[in-house]
Amino acid sequence: MHRFLSFLLLFLFSLYASGVASAADYHEQLVLQPLPLSALLASFNFRSNTSLSAFEAHNYRFFPRSLGQILQHAGTRELHLRFSLGHWDAESWGARPWNGTREGGTGVELWAWLEAEEEDEANHRWSTLTNALSGLFCASLNFIDGTRTTRPVMSFRPEGTLPNTNSSSNTQLLYGVLPREVVCTENLTPFLKLLPSKGKAGIASLLDGHKLFDASWQSMAIDVRPICPPGGECVLEIEQTIDMVLDIERSKRPRGNPIPRPVPSHELKCDMTKPYQSDDTCYPADYTASQDWTLSQVFGRLMKGACPLSDPSVPPVCLRVPHSRDVYVSVGVREMKNADGLSRCFEVPSDAEVDIVLPQIGQAGVTGHTANGAILTPDTPPLYAERSFTGYGQERGGVQTILTNPSPDKEVEFVYMESLPWFMRIYLHTLQARLDGQNGADNSLIQEVYYRPAVDRARGTQLELRMRIPPASTVFLTYDFEKSILRYTEYPPDANRGFDVAAAVITILRVGQEAVSTSSLRTTTLLLSLPTPDFSMPYNVIIFTSTAIALAFGGLFNILVRRFVAADEGPEVSIKTLKTRIAARLSDLVKKFKQAKIDRKE
Amino acid sequence: MEATSASDSVTVPETVTNHKEVVGRKEPPPEKPSDVRRRSFVVLSFWAIVLCLGLPIWWKTTSIYRASLPVDEMLDWSDGRACRPVFPLKITVEASELQQQEAQNLVRLTQHALDDLNDFSGHHLRLQLASPRSTTEIVQTTKDGTSALTIRLSPGDSTTAALHPYAPVLDITYPPHTIPSPTSSSSALATFVANQLRSTFAEEQATISYLLSAASGQPEQKPPGVTPEVADALAKRTTRSLKYSPTYHLTFSLFTEGEHPSSWDIQSAVDEFMKPVLDVLSPIHNFTIDTQVQLYATPGVQSQVLSKVELSSFINAAEWPLSPSIGGAPTINFVVYVGNQTIGLPAVEEGPDGIATSQSWLIPQWGTVYLLSLPGDATHVPTTLLKQPLLTFTSHLLSLLGTPQSGSLPLRLSTLSRIRSADLLLRASSTLGSLARLSIALPSIAIPSSVAEGVANTMSHLRLACDTLGSPEALYHARVAEAEAEKAFFEKSMVGQLYFPDEHKIAVYLPLLGPVGVPLVVGLLNELKAWRKRRRERAEKGKQKKET
Repeated sequence: MHRFLSFLLLFLFSLYASGVASAADYHEQLVLQPLPLSALLASFNFRSNTSLSAFEAHNYRFFPRSLGQILQHAGTRELHLRFSLGHWDAESWGARPWNGTREGGTGVELWAWLEAEEEDEANHRWSTLTNALSGLFCASLNFIDGTRTTRPVMSFRPEGTLPNTNSSSNTQLLYGVLPREVVCTENLTPFLKLLPSKGKAGIASLLDGHKLFDASWQSMAIDVRPICPPGGECVLEIEQTIDMVLDIERSKRPRGNPIPRPVPSHELKCDMTKPYQSDDTCYPADYTASQDWTLSQVFGRLMKGACPLSDPSVPPVCLRVPHSRDVYVSVGVREMKNADGLSRCFEVPSDAEVDIVLPQIGQAGVTGHTANGAILTPDTPPLYAERSFTGYGQERGGVQTILTNPSPDKEVEFVYMESLPWFMRIYLHTLQARLDGQNGADNSLIQEVYYRPAVDRARGTQLELRMRIPPASTVFLTYDFEKSILRYTEYPPDANRGFDVAAAVITILRVGQEAVSTSSLRTTTLLLSLPTPDFSMPYNVIIFTSTAIALAFGGLFNILVRRFVAADEGPEVSIKTLKTRIAARLSDLVKKFKQAKIDRKE
Repeated sequence: MEATSASDSVTVPETVTNHKEVVGRKEPPPEKPSDVRRRSFVVLSFWAIVLCLGLPIWWKTTSIYRASLPVDEMLDWSDGRACRPVFPLKITVEASELQQQEAQNLVRLTQHALDDLNDFSGHHLRLQLASPRSTTEIVQTTKDGTSALTIRLSPGDSTTAALHPYAPVLDITYPPHTIPSPTSSSSALATFVANQLRSTFAEEQATISYLLSAASGQPEQKPPGVTPEVADALAKRTTRSLKYSPTYHLTFSLFTEGEHPSSWDIQSAVDEFMKPVLDVLSPIHNFTIDTQVQLYATPGVQSQVLSKVELSSFINAAEWPLSPSIGGAPTINFVVYVGNQTIGLPAVEEGPDGIATSQSWLIPQWGTVYLLSLPGDATHVPTTLLKQPLLTFTSHLLSLLGTPQSGSLPLRLSTLSRIRSADLLLRASSTLGSLARLSIALPSIAIPSSVAEGVANTMSHLRLACDTLGSPEALYHARVAEAEAEKAFFEKSMVGQLYFPDEHKIAVYLPLLGPVGVPLVVGLLNELKAWRKRRRERAEKGKQKKET
């Protein structure tokens, strides 16, 4: 995995180097990597930059004007926006692309450094920023209010060089998250509009909402940062990244006939080495099953050549499979094998429709044995994290995070950050970290705690922990909380679904160099079920109290007003008298009727 | 009724006979008068509590706060009764070559001639003689805004008139013999000056009288002195111009269908060709400028030669990122589209109008599109190629801002500020009227005190603007009044609970009022019945006593 990471980092640095050369330029690259369990990771990366002087003079070329205006209006120095969906399966897919620095938790995440002297000014600019971005990206970012905003202390560091960075006191970092937001095509369209190629040329022509949001996991990221190379002119760089893990089987389904059907038994790919393998028993061969695809199959369309705007020195498409595998490409595409033996890149003409075919690896691929050569084994991530709820009932709950350091010899140091909604009142004294296999808390695991308690209806809890996990060990981090009862109008529609709790952000620090983030990961979001009232309650209450008042009042009034007499003194009330009275009335009516008839005849 | 009253009236012998029957029913003993009175008091006190305590509390807690608005005054403003817009324009006459008395006489005669010519009372030109001062001072005063125009009289060979191109000065030359004698009642020179002045201000006068007549809500009734053709042209121009704003964002966009050209020298081109005009406009408007390059932009119409109908759908609003700027100010878009498309002109119709050339057209209240054709594979647009587009944009900008088309530039701009203040004044007045009508039409709408404050502010600024019309403060006051009026009209809390269904009210009130109200009402009815019966009995008793 480190090879893959270093590959990406190398690529990044090469882009930085070329970014220095010219003030306004544009790069794009797509990296494809087959993953185990018939998955395919596609990392799209688009970067363009503008010189800071042109930006301040409102002259936009490759940098999008719509975003630039918002940044200027809200006094934003650095901006990071994430739209994510799904779950990265670290157990089978290994380490994350870009070391996890280009992804967010499920939903929408936004953090930015704003120019502001005071907190009030920062809050005002933050609300301007969220409202404007909400309009630009068709997302509910305007719902990032005070209760969803935190000011992280240890977790995030600026990626760019902020001008006058010596006095960084006048920039403030704010972080907001919307775990409930559903990322969808309407967010992709404005994302593509920010690109100079508008999604009509180059690798962006492969992006299609149907495929992107059908992926097992996807993350769209926008990062804007000022970069001042030593001795060069400061530039403002916008980097747009889309990472997606496609289920190949699922993507290959034809568009017109998307309903999955059972595979006929003779087409099943079974692991022939299992002793119980027979005609009616099949253990699926997981690794190479259907690791053959074409670009047009998985993305649903052909690539429309290389983008003529992009830097020709950066190959637009790279594929990470062993050199032993053959790859077929369209006419005009030139294949370049990299020296590391694990990846190859393709030079693409700008005016041709391009397809790339990764064929089946011979007939031997059917068995599980040759699987190892077909794709690269993903690297182990530096840390595994999973988070879940414990506890029961409507009042008390708990959160347990299991953090595993897989490395046999290196300890890992990281910052664990939770931003929790205010209605989850945590008990900080119950916070404890426990090593697997030991009883009782281990105080040496948590090194530093930053805690900002919640204020009801005004702000959420912010909890940041700096932790260190010894090699090859698992840590259980637990705390308890109390669920508060909301006001009637504070419940969202469909309150019984539960309330989403944002993902915890884990920033891994490089050992030795304090507070320099090298990679990050996020847990999944949680669904907290709060006690929900019956929403017809107000009417019930009205009717109930009215009935009680009416009973009390009626009794009182009757006692005061009525006269009490003996039972045989009052008017006779019985069914018999009622009957005779009704009968008398009826006979009266009949008589009158007859009389009237007779009168008329006469 | 009779039977019951008979059984109720206690007759002792009958009850004694009934008593003997085992199954028969007994009559209750007679009630004490104190008990009867007490019961009446109980019922009455309950009703007193309901009426004196319950009803006021209910009324107080459920009524909506409505600040009192000066509705009549607001309607007066909107109907034009509160302010009669008058533009007294001072015109300084500078005649250094003439003697004081001669000059005064000339001014008097010219003023007479002007008054005879003028048929629109709202726009009034008043001449005054400049005290003999140096020319620079006079230019100074005109800049202060006290004088709209200076007439500089100088002797010459023939009677000529010329507008100074860069200052609000009208140069008039006259042959020396045309100076009227102090006794004469008319003079050719005076009439000439008056006619010149009138033609100079004709457009402004027409525009203002058009605005006033449009505001009074009778578009059919043509304002005096405005021919239908002029009125049509004015209507066209008013619909084309943007709403007044102190700041405008100018966005210059280069659109192209393919991947090139991807850069242009817009900054230098703007500095060279547009900046001078923007500087002149700066007392009235501020401008911010941004530029962008958008590649791979497909127009809404693909045909090679665009017809007039297709122009409206050329802008591909769904795909082109022409979103308005954030911040309050409106955006004016100037689009250069690089492509080989042209506009097919019906030569007769559009030619003299000057709006649609074969390359550009103006989109009312939005901006301008210029079709620029470039040779082959040019990747860069130099300043020289941008000259024509930017000159077109500049002239369209003036027309989008509603500047009049005749006269010298300084005169056009001072006219613009007067037209704008009249326009803002009328807008604010009509907003006030709408608010007044809204508050009358919807009795259940809440009116918070901020709205009342806004209305009061608007009216005070309107009054100030109305009193100073024609001077630069008027624009400021009218601008404040318009902003305040808009703020009051679009107050958020007014629309919150506009719709509150009656079913909901029934659901809330019925469970309480049903069970409580029925015993109260029945108790009151019974009590009234008993009271009437008692009165009748008393009357009968009195009769019986008399008989006996």
